[in-house]
Amino acid sequence: MKLTEKFAEVHNAFFKKTWSPMTGGILLAFLAILMVIWQRPWGIVGGLRNWADWFFYLIGLYGEAPKHALYYSSSVMDLGLLAGAWISAVIAKEFAFRMPPMLEIWKGAIAGIFMGLGATLAFGCNVGGFYCAIQNLSASGFTMMIGLILGVIVGLKYIYWEMEHLMPGPAGPTFLDKLPPFLGYVAVIGLIVAAYLYAGSSVEGVPLMAGYLLIGAGIGFVFHRSRLCMVNGFREPFMTGEAAMGKAVAVSIILGTIGIGLLKFGGLRETELYVEAAFGWGSLVGGFIFGTAMVVAGGCGSGSLWRVAEGQIKLWVVILTFALSNSIFRHYFGEWGIMEKLGYAVYMPDHMGYGGTIILVMISMALWYLVIDWNEETSKFVMEM
Amino acid sequence: MSDNKKAPDGLSVAMTLDAKGLSCPMPLLRTKKEIEKIKSGEILEVLGTDPGSRNDIPGWCSRSGHEYLGEKEDSGFIRFYVKKK
Repeated sequence: MKLTEKFAEVHNAFFKKTWSPMTGGILLAFLAILMVIWQRPWGIVGGLRNWADWFFYLIGLYGEAPKHALYYSSSVMDLGLLAGAWISAVIAKEFAFRMPPMLEIWKGAIAGIFMGLGATLAFGCNVGGFYCAIQNLSASGFTMMIGLILGVIVGLKYIYWEMEHLMPGPAGPTFLDKLPPFLGYVAVIGLIVAAYLYAGSSVEGVPLMAGYLLIGAGIGFVFHRSRLCMVNGFREPFMTGEAAMGKAVAVSIILGTIGIGLLKFGGLRETELYVEAAFGWGSLVGGFIFGTAMVVAGGCGSGSLWRVAEGQIKLWVVILTFALSNSIFRHYFGEWGIMEKLGYAVYMPDHMGYGGTIILVMISMALWYLVIDWNEETSKFVMEM
Repeated sequence: MSDNKKAPDGLSVAMTLDAKGLSCPMPLLRTKKEIEKIKSGEILEVLGTDPGSRNDIPGWCSRSGHEYLGEKEDSGFIRFYVKKK
């Protein structure tokens, strides 16, 4: 085999073939740990809310200007995720604007509103409220997980009902589906230039944006290459029995918990990072609402965002209403004092030590892995249409 | 890592499902529903625009026992072929 042929083979494996969910899950854990090493945990909804806050500020609803979207960590992470997923989609020739039927647009709009409410109550979406919350040793991650599972069952029941009673109607056009792959490599150069510009800034805090951007882009790239999807991980055990995504998420959480747990144990990061006062009804009810809505939306916080970068217009609508509603709910719930009544901040090592907490996470995720793997063979939990 | 299996030419299709514009999980759910309407050995053609269907439909076929025959690229969408068990 010539060297050029080997290059083409490796390029194809890296940029064009779909990676396994487990590859995605392991790499996602690595990047989530890297984000904490850099400065703070990874998140999705904070950045979306920042963009919506700007909208409400500019139309005069909010009195105080939000943080600058290009100098705010959560926003830059999301921009990085979008860029990384877009690069992956364009190089793999999977980018296209895909206009859905009208029913799907309405579903996306309504589901996004409820996702915004759920993420407000749980102090985060499936990423900040569940995935990263558990990795950061917050008990609220577990209560949100229970809420998410219950919500997914209700969301699936709705989808089944819809299958029998509603027709989606004709789809709109697909366009810009032939973008040349070299644009993806141009975007990689653009990302590197932007990171250098951030890193070279003398303004306090701005050089940190370089890491948020690049690690965020890595997360977006990994998500799109592996099509890792947390909705899928929760939904498929009940819909088809498929467990690959769920198992990847479980392993990813274990790996991330070990890494971030050690950083906190060693005093390298503040223990209160991502330990929100949501352990209680906030994360449970928020998880339930978010879980129901994400099934109808066809994407969670992370899954919707990387599908935006792939050009799926339904998920553009989801992200739009998700961001706007989260901003509104967070703003007014804060003003009305509701955010202080959602639950308690429970840092699990305070109650069972670091060893006990990591063992608890490993056992609970291993149990989830075991149950959905068994269900994949037996279909015990699969809900028939 | 997975390759996209190419469908052979000249397949005789019993039914076509238009799932263009639908995103996950609707193309797979509609496929599950429509395949009930054809006979064993017949072929269902699914038209879709969601790249995720490239994983979802073959994965579902391998679990449910239906034969995934492959896909064909068309102008702005993909044609998937499933032979009912």
